[in-house]
Amino acid sequence: MAPDLHAALAAVVGPDHVRPVAGQHAWLVAPGSPAEVADVIRASAAAGAAVVPVGAGFRAARVKSLGDRARVHVATERLDQVIQLDEASLLCHVQAGLTGAALEQVLAPRGLSLGDYPPSILGSTIGGLIGVRTPGKSSARHGFFEDAVAGVSAVLADGRTIHTRVAPRRSTGPDLARALSGSEGTLGFITAAVLRIHRRPEVRLLAAFVLPSVDAAIAAAFLALREECAPAGLRIVDAAEARRHFPETALADGEAVVVAATAGPTDLAACDRDLIASAALAEGGRPADVALAERWWKRRLGLEPIPGPAPTFQVSAGPRHLAAAYHAIRAAVPGARLHVSRFDLDGAVLFATLVDEAGAALTGPAAAAAHAAAEAAATAAGAWLLGARPTAMAPYLAALRAALDPHGIMNPGALIDPV
Amino acid sequence: MSDRFTTADVARQLDDCTFCPKMCRHACPVSTTTGRESLIPQAKMDLLNRLRRGTEAWQADAAEPLWACTGCRHCTVYCDHGNEPGLVLLAGRAAAQRAGAGHANLVGYGERFRARDQRLATQAKEHLADAPFAEGGDVGFWPGCDSLDKGAADVAAAQAVFVRMGLGAVPLVDAGLACAGYPLLAAGLVDEFRWHAGKVASALRRFRTVVMGCSACRYAVTALFQGEGVTVATEVVSVAEFLDDHAAALPPATRARAVYYHDPCYLARSAGVIDEPRRVLGQLAEVREFAWSGVDAECCGGGGLLPKTMPAVADAMARRRLAEIAATGGGTVATACGTCALMLRRNAPEGVEVRDLATLVAELTDTAFTPPADPGDEP
Amino acid sequence: MVDADRVRRELEAVVGARRVSVRPGDLDTYARDMWPRLLLARRDGAAPTTLPTAVVWPETAREVAAIVRVARTLGVPIVPYGGGSGVCGGVVPIFGGITVDTKRMTAIRGFRRDEQVCDVEAGLSGERFERELARRGYTFGNFPSSIYCSTVGGWLATRAAGQLSTKYGKVEDRVAGLTMVTGTGDIVDTDGPRRAQGGPDWTQLVLGSEGTLGIITSARLRLAPAPQLRVFRGFEVPDVAAGIEALRRVLQRGLRPAVVRLYDELDTFVNSFGSHHADPAAVHFGHTHAPAPLPGEGALPPLPPRPAPPPTGALARLAHLAQRSTRQLRGDAFTALLDRPRLVNSVVGTVAERIARKGCKLIIGLEGARLRTEVEAALTFAELERAGARDLGEDPGRAWLARRYAVSYKMSPVFRDGAFVDTMEVAASWSQLTDLYYAVRAAIGRYAVVMAHFSHAYADGCSIYFTFVAHAGDRAASERRYDAIWKAGLEAATRVGGTISHHHGVGLLRGPYMHGEHREAMAILEAVKRSLDPDDVMNPGKLGLASARRSR
Repeated sequence: MAPDLHAALAAVVGPDHVRPVAGQHAWLVAPGSPAEVADVIRASAAAGAAVVPVGAGFRAARVKSLGDRARVHVATERLDQVIQLDEASLLCHVQAGLTGAALEQVLAPRGLSLGDYPPSILGSTIGGLIGVRTPGKSSARHGFFEDAVAGVSAVLADGRTIHTRVAPRRSTGPDLARALSGSEGTLGFITAAVLRIHRRPEVRLLAAFVLPSVDAAIAAAFLALREECAPAGLRIVDAAEARRHFPETALADGEAVVVAATAGPTDLAACDRDLIASAALAEGGRPADVALAERWWKRRLGLEPIPGPAPTFQVSAGPRHLAAAYHAIRAAVPGARLHVSRFDLDGAVLFATLVDEAGAALTGPAAAAAHAAAEAAATAAGAWLLGARPTAMAPYLAALRAALDPHGIMNPGALIDPV
Repeated sequence: MSDRFTTADVARQLDDCTFCPKMCRHACPVSTTTGRESLIPQAKMDLLNRLRRGTEAWQADAAEPLWACTGCRHCTVYCDHGNEPGLVLLAGRAAAQRAGAGHANLVGYGERFRARDQRLATQAKEHLADAPFAEGGDVGFWPGCDSLDKGAADVAAAQAVFVRMGLGAVPLVDAGLACAGYPLLAAGLVDEFRWHAGKVASALRRFRTVVMGCSACRYAVTALFQGEGVTVATEVVSVAEFLDDHAAALPPATRARAVYYHDPCYLARSAGVIDEPRRVLGQLAEVREFAWSGVDAECCGGGGLLPKTMPAVADAMARRRLAEIAATGGGTVATACGTCALMLRRNAPEGVEVRDLATLVAELTDTAFTPPADPGDEP
Repeated sequence: MVDADRVRRELEAVVGARRVSVRPGDLDTYARDMWPRLLLARRDGAAPTTLPTAVVWPETAREVAAIVRVARTLGVPIVPYGGGSGVCGGVVPIFGGITVDTKRMTAIRGFRRDEQVCDVEAGLSGERFERELARRGYTFGNFPSSIYCSTVGGWLATRAAGQLSTKYGKVEDRVAGLTMVTGTGDIVDTDGPRRAQGGPDWTQLVLGSEGTLGIITSARLRLAPAPQLRVFRGFEVPDVAAGIEALRRVLQRGLRPAVVRLYDELDTFVNSFGSHHADPAAVHFGHTHAPAPLPGEGALPPLPPRPAPPPTGALARLAHLAQRSTRQLRGDAFTALLDRPRLVNSVVGTVAERIARKGCKLIIGLEGARLRTEVEAALTFAELERAGARDLGEDPGRAWLARRYAVSYKMSPVFRDGAFVDTMEVAASWSQLTDLYYAVRAAIGRYAVVMAHFSHAYADGCSIYFTFVAHAGDRAASERRYDAIWKAGLEAATRVGGTISHHHGVGLLRGPYMHGEHREAMAILEAVKRSLDPDDVMNPGKLGLASARRSR
């Protein structure tokens, strides 16, 4: 059977775009068009093979084993075209394999942009961004990344291609694109999407402040947000992390740095910056050198390296629990460096870099123990782990998958919680 | 149809309501309390429209929603058509009675009304033996049936307050009648109402001013009697207006208090008496407002004979009205109508005290009064 | 055949006898909503063609779940019912069954100032919800002209939009989670805090499902602080195209006015007479029997909304205008004119333009936090002027605000006079918006007098709200014309790439057009239906979903 599948795949995408994965009963296929995706899925279905979508950063070794079952890893790297750019409506129809960075390169010369999202979206493919739903992709200016999805095209398990239709908003039943967004390839293979894009802001303003405590900084952030401030970026950096990221700044223990970027029409960006400034001052803060914010922003755009190590652990918390979760993590892992970002009115994300008190990265069992301790402390203080799935919905998800994919070929290992 | 409306006008109102997207539904206390769609003003008017056009037969069961209205007029606040569903439904009730499709609980109501009215009038002289009575004069006080029946203490308190304010011993109207007859109209007994109105009018005419303790009586005499060709030249005011007219004579409060004021519908929406009670109370206490008050006040369920036709719903309305106060820690609720006081009192949750306006004034000003030893009196 | 008595008994076992009804009057009421096509039958004295078997009023999600299990066991459908204010027939029990009225579930719980969210039960009236929030210093921001009659659950089930949606979004933009009873009778929560969950977004799959997947029993909704400042302004643009362009520029600069309304020439003309008869003396309670207080003797204070003299609505004015300007037509009655809609559309349009010579009116309103609103207002007004709009000052904006729900009262006189009126709200991206406007207007205009305004604007597009008035001989002819209007209008919308509904929903009215709207993607909806409601218990036959049930 295996050679048949290989031949069938090669017949669809051409021999150059299919290769077996060494040591596994699996192939990596790179279709060049949505029609080829459909044919690959049909061929896989005929062979009873699993279809596993692959975005940027595929590592065959990391793939969960499916026992003896054949796997077809379908890469979107060749689906990297901008299909249509509707500048009048600020909509961009793109194929799923395009990365955020590549899309920005198309948009930037036209004065357009994907928007002020966290920098992590630049390295991901559009298909990956839509297919995996995490709260870490929100923007205080534009909302969650999935809110930017006006429509998707996908191939279903039976090879049918669907296009959810585009409208600014509609009341014609549920939002069908939202079934596919977050479905991790289990309901359909996303081949293209229509994204809401933005004009590049007329101006971007940066500001930095030192607050007497992380608690005060958190209070200041929400004070500004509740006055409808919509920053392009906002981050609270605790003293430990600031010493690493902004070594030239002298901070007392317990103090925190707040860096902020605002964008939009000049008056509005200035208004947002002033709102943050007055909130910071109201909470006992003082202005800091704007160079701090400039540096943070450059790193955010990938123009300057970010001092490592990368955050090891992140949790989300509502405004009420954020400070408590911060202190809990700090108490659990005294050397931890933390920052707070991804602000929204109903909360923010805490990023912790777990290091020992000398500042060295933790490794091995020590790292695992610190991670477990920090996680336990944070959740006890009211924070949530990211990416958990509602167990109550598990049977409905299973039924939905069964309805669309009766033979269970679509990424069968994904979205299944260990029992 | 009642001859009090022109047919064309009733038809217009019924059609307006039939085709209206239910714009007043949130204001209807009966349907909000029950959740029953058939009891929203639009549905009740639509039903009456079908009965009128003959596409629905006059039967007691089918006509039941006509009785699910307290006549509170809250719906009219949100009506751009200027419709009066409460009044049109009264005409519908009259038609139902004539068609033999009246409410089961109101069989023989005319008789029962007359008997109770006479009993209360007689009883008043026994229970309020110390009070002055008069058949005529300058100012008379007519407390209303529910006060005479269940709130005699409030009557005594009002009289004590009048004396304390230097208004003299305002005598009770000695007419042999306790009620101006609104319940008869609400029961669809138009002829009985007209006949009763005539008797009331001749009794009231002997006074220059009559102070009324019942908001429905005040409404009936000032607004509804004219429709029956009965005119009363006598000045008719509520206790709240009377106190407000003489507010300068109010004694000072002897203690600080915060009170909520519940607007009787017939005062607030049918007579525009909104500021008067608040001015009186405001002089003596901090006045707090319900979420829905003044012209937007929610009905306590006492009107339209609802306590007779749908007693459980009427009580639920009163409980609903007070739940807001209970939820925010309780307190004192004042109202300026004997029927409202009765409804609210008997449904007050723990922590909520209900006071008649005059009684509260007496309490706040340390005005002594002697509650009559009345077996029917509620604490 | 359904054993009605058994249904009643089983329901009574769940909620008690007092919260179950099989009274004919209740069944009749719950058989319909405000779908204008049903009003045509109503006007003709016709009884509903299908009735529910029973109506039930649950007070908790548990009771709802038990009711759904009863229905599932007995094989009868469930139709959820909120305010019955829908205009698409969504609550019509086409296969009979149990109608579940949510209006006894009205609590507001879990009010959390820090996160600006609250949990609210589905049956709460929209107006009551907003009043309660206002008392606490917040707003949900959804102000549909049906706010007096609709429920929160109805909003969520249909993806409703309010007049301030350009700032606050449609309801689906402001939901942090739902509690629902599925078609299998289970109670589930669709999202956790901060959307901190993986997998498909169940909240967005349930919003807009119009009761076909389950019954929403409560929702966690995002709130905003009550506005500290409100700035309303009127503008004038030469024509529709210029107005569209002006709006697009404002929205795409990242500005978010709360209210955006661009009236086409005819709508502008009809509305220009609405100069707000706010004279309280105009209120007359004309019954000898019911002399409500007249001004000067304890008059009622000005009420929201201000009472208007009844018969002279904008549409009546339209008729008057049409009469005046088309004397050459034989017969000068309103209805006679409505029999010649194409002629009226063109004549009235021309006359309106000639008389008004003012182009189109644009209402813009901003509200929110003081500082930011001031800045945004200045930027918005400046952008509009740059786009060629002429500032008319605050009066038109204030006047609109004062009468913003008035449109809902205009149905009655039209129906009373033997004609009918309905509205069709469609939407499209900016690049297709002008096409959408002309295509739908032309399609409807063959059968009805039609006018439109543009509201609910977004960075990527805008909705168009068409109002049409028509007349035909008897009920059958009216229904034929009504159906023809909708077929022509919706097919035109689909043809140019617009959506067939921006916020009214699907119900029965748009069911036949759902496949044109979603095409192959209906497969997803059908799969979601099989997942959440495998036995087709929930509101069968709606939303364009096929049902194997047989009509009663």
